[in-house]
Amino acid sequence: MAQSNLKLRMLEAFRFRMFSFLAIVFILFLVLIVQLINMQLVQGEEYMLKSKLNMESNIPIPAPRGEIYDRNFQPGGENTVIVSNRPSFNLSTIPARFESKSELRKTIKKLSVLLQISYDETMQFINEHNPWERVVIKEDVAFSLIVKIASHKNLFPNIDWEDEPVRVYNMGNNFFHTVGYVGSISKDEYEKYRGRGYKYYQKIGKAGIESEYDVVLRGTDGFIRRIVDVRNRVEGEEIGLNPIAGNNLVLTIDSDVQAAASDAMEGLKGAVIVLKPFNGEILAMVSKPDIDPNLVISRANNKLIRELYNDKDKPFLNRAIQARYPPASTFKLVIAISALEEEKWNPNLTYYCTGKYTLKGYVDKDFYCYKHHGLLDMYGAIAESCSTYFYQLGYKIGPTIILKYAEYMALGEKTNIDIPGEITGFIPSKKYKMKTFNQPWYDGDTINLSIGQGFISVTALGLADFVSGIVNDGVVYRPHLVREIRSPDNAQVIKRIVPEKIREIPLSQVTLNTLKTGMRLSVKQGTSRRLSYLKIPVAGKTGTAQTRSVRKDDKTQHAWFVSYAPYNSNPENAVVIVVLVEYGIAGAVGAVPVAEQIYLKLISLGYF
Amino acid sequence: MFRKDEMYRIDYVLVFAVILIVLFGILMIYSSGFDPIEKVNKGMYKKQLLWFIFGFVFMIAVTFINYKNLGDYSIYIYIGMNIVLLFTALFGAPVRNIRAWLNLGIISIQPSEFMKLALLFILAKYLEFRERDIRNFRELLIPTVLTLIPVLIILKQPDFGTAMIFIPILFTMLFVGGADVSHLLSIITIAGVALIVPMILTYREWAGEEGSNFILDFFKDTNLLFLVSGILLLIAVIAFVLHFFLIKKYYRKIYIPATVISLGLFFSVLIQHFLKDYQKKRILVFLNPNLDPHGSGYNIIQSKIAVGSGGFLGKGFLNGSQAQLGFLPEKTSDFIFSVVAEEWGFLGSIIMILLLSIIVFRGIQIALESRDKFGALLASGISAIFFFHIFINIGMTLGIMPVTGLPLCFVSYGGSNLIMSMIAIGILINIRMRKFVH
Repeated sequence: MAQSNLKLRMLEAFRFRMFSFLAIVFILFLVLIVQLINMQLVQGEEYMLKSKLNMESNIPIPAPRGEIYDRNFQPGGENTVIVSNRPSFNLSTIPARFESKSELRKTIKKLSVLLQISYDETMQFINEHNPWERVVIKEDVAFSLIVKIASHKNLFPNIDWEDEPVRVYNMGNNFFHTVGYVGSISKDEYEKYRGRGYKYYQKIGKAGIESEYDVVLRGTDGFIRRIVDVRNRVEGEEIGLNPIAGNNLVLTIDSDVQAAASDAMEGLKGAVIVLKPFNGEILAMVSKPDIDPNLVISRANNKLIRELYNDKDKPFLNRAIQARYPPASTFKLVIAISALEEEKWNPNLTYYCTGKYTLKGYVDKDFYCYKHHGLLDMYGAIAESCSTYFYQLGYKIGPTIILKYAEYMALGEKTNIDIPGEITGFIPSKKYKMKTFNQPWYDGDTINLSIGQGFISVTALGLADFVSGIVNDGVVYRPHLVREIRSPDNAQVIKRIVPEKIREIPLSQVTLNTLKTGMRLSVKQGTSRRLSYLKIPVAGKTGTAQTRSVRKDDKTQHAWFVSYAPYNSNPENAVVIVVLVEYGIAGAVGAVPVAEQIYLKLISLGYF
Repeated sequence: MFRKDEMYRIDYVLVFAVILIVLFGILMIYSSGFDPIEKVNKGMYKKQLLWFIFGFVFMIAVTFINYKNLGDYSIYIYIGMNIVLLFTALFGAPVRNIRAWLNLGIISIQPSEFMKLALLFILAKYLEFRERDIRNFRELLIPTVLTLIPVLIILKQPDFGTAMIFIPILFTMLFVGGADVSHLLSIITIAGVALIVPMILTYREWAGEEGSNFILDFFKDTNLLFLVSGILLLIAVIAFVLHFFLIKKYYRKIYIPATVISLGLFFSVLIQHFLKDYQKKRILVFLNPNLDPHGSGYNIIQSKIAVGSGGFLGKGFLNGSQAQLGFLPEKTSDFIFSVVAEEWGFLGSIIMILLLSIIVFRGIQIALESRDKFGALLASGISAIFFFHIFINIGMTLGIMPVTGLPLCFVSYGGSNLIMSMIAIGILINIRMRKFVH
């Protein structure tokens, strides 16, 4: 009985365990089914996409970037093409398609020998990228090499080639700082722009118009859809999307003027701006030193690019909009405006120049003029750039009003030119001096300010804007470089850039006349009389900015020349030229000759 | 020989399920052996059909001999199979660096497949023999040793996946055979602690995760681990001694978990020291295939894409891009289920899983109805073999189990596994047929 009881109990225990086992099996089968439901029914479409990605090897067809022309563009005519494209081939791959890392390495090794590129650098470049994304191994590969690779496809598995037009900058250095250049999209840029259709293998404008108008120029890449197996054997091929070419741009720049300005600045450092104050169109904008963009766009020139970046002359810096200089004597125009507008002064009032001005104080301090001028009215003071006159005038007006007018003239604001990277000038204040130097504003600071020295600094374009305001009776238009956006075939104008009035300074007629007359007098008989012989009447103002740098020769000063022509005629035809030459000795010596050459060119081109 | 009434007790449900599923499998082997670019078939499906016919003959043959008589020879079968296995591991022709195949001239067989059945027989026999005493901890020693001998030989081949399948089979047999559940749980806990700690550490190191964490720092310091393990052991010993003198139940509640965790930590230190980095990483790649998109992670990623992209109705026979264009690896053997899921979708997958589960559930039913313990243990062991192969294989294709290279019984291409499975079916039929005979 006990025996059979035990047997029964054991049978019960066995049955219990069998049912437990059954339950576990049942649950685990359910786990499989739930996972299956999850994968096939819930995430099915996601996986479907991945499976398509697997078998579709999409070879991009890069869209040709828009061409860039100068202002004299005529549809159908013989035009000056500043930037164009030429056909070229890229070799690319998707690393994750290789069966193994060693196969990838083997293929790249063979390729590096054929292409004469560094194996290590190429592998490093590939490893830096997501293995599922297309990596360009080498750009601009010779057609003969492509033919070689194509005919030995089994030796180079998973290596694709696509033709990608290469940018050609036909004008060499001349347009480096205005048009800019393109380059491979960087990691940061990709993160920033990926949502807007940018692909990691694409080019992007890095500076200048190429960058600002990238969206207009780039077009839309197409692609060839290939059905491939795991070894990249092609089962079918079709065009997935035809590329759409980017739009073309017509600049406001005249390439002849640009070339003349560039030639005039040859060997110098500095910037030139030539613009039409009537609508803000920039005819030329040069910054020196510059670089041939054709060198910068090739990945093969990485070393050279790095050297240029570290060059102490900073060739990448656009001195027209990205550097500040003391305005020096050009700022005397602002002093004159403040004096006249506040009605404390009229242009016929005189000061006597003894060659120096003594600031009375606890200790008397002398401020010098470069010459003994004698008795001068305001016209003469502007023409001769007499410092003594403006020391006294500035002292009389006081810093608060001067600085208010400097701000009024927008010397501390951006001009909002249509290329990136612009900085503002700097207008100091009493507060600024207290905060930075822990000192109050001294009378000496006012005297310095009166001749545009000390804390104040401006950009060349900011100064050009200021002169435009004078020429254009107080109205300032946004300076711009692009005139029209045209369709890829140039047949239609997609957008015409309308001049945009950004400022209207209500200057009195007396003020405007005084400034214009003074500037004209400067060319006729004053500091810029070198230009007096030109057959159009030029008006201008020189400036010589002291720098803090210590140099052995006499070139310790920056040279300014701001000017416009023709004097006293319809502002519609007027052209403003601002020249800045770093370490150019003095405005009259360093900057005026540059302007002279440009005026000669403008005359010969029939601008006046 | 059969008596006439026994003929009626042949499990036709089981037989039909098997026939259906093998034919389904052969269809899938046909599909995955097809090259859409060259437009040729590798003809593996014909071989599989041939093996199925062989297997069917074996299945019928096995039903003729009473399984109880077979059980009497289990010790000889076990020893014989181990010798063959050892011979294979030492002198077999290496295929992909694994000596798992024995070349018999016209065919190659894989002795490790048949070892599964031999082990089942001897375990069933032993557990039936020691039925009354199996609750003692020391009684677990002999079944464990019996299992470890073939496991070690197979590891020598080295075929990690096949070796590992023996462990859950042993546990199932011990569980069904009546071993103390707390003993089994203790062993599983020790193994769990021993494995999980080094895995987490390797993962963090590999993934380059920075940052310090109190718990992780503790696990990194092997000296500290040894210390804690020692203290726990000391507590366990004291509790055990107290338990010995003043028999109170709660001491048992102290010394058993203390010993378990202590041993777990101790082994985890050993594993941290003795498992090679690449071995630890291989297990990690299973946990996160994206860690290694070129290696075994590639297989899992491609398999998941194949399964997931199948959707509800599938892409159609011969139309699975993953399988047909070669993205799916090992598609006739290990990843055959992915082909089913891709080409026949959720519907086909569910049908296949249902057919497979019929076999497993039928095996458990036969175990429950068996007239003796030996038959019951044998049937549940066979169910376990089928079930763990199915679960691990399909789980692998779905990315929830590691890539171990285990075939899917009845479906994967491969003669040895198919014939072993057919013999096992024969044994199940055999047990069911004789359940009423006294």
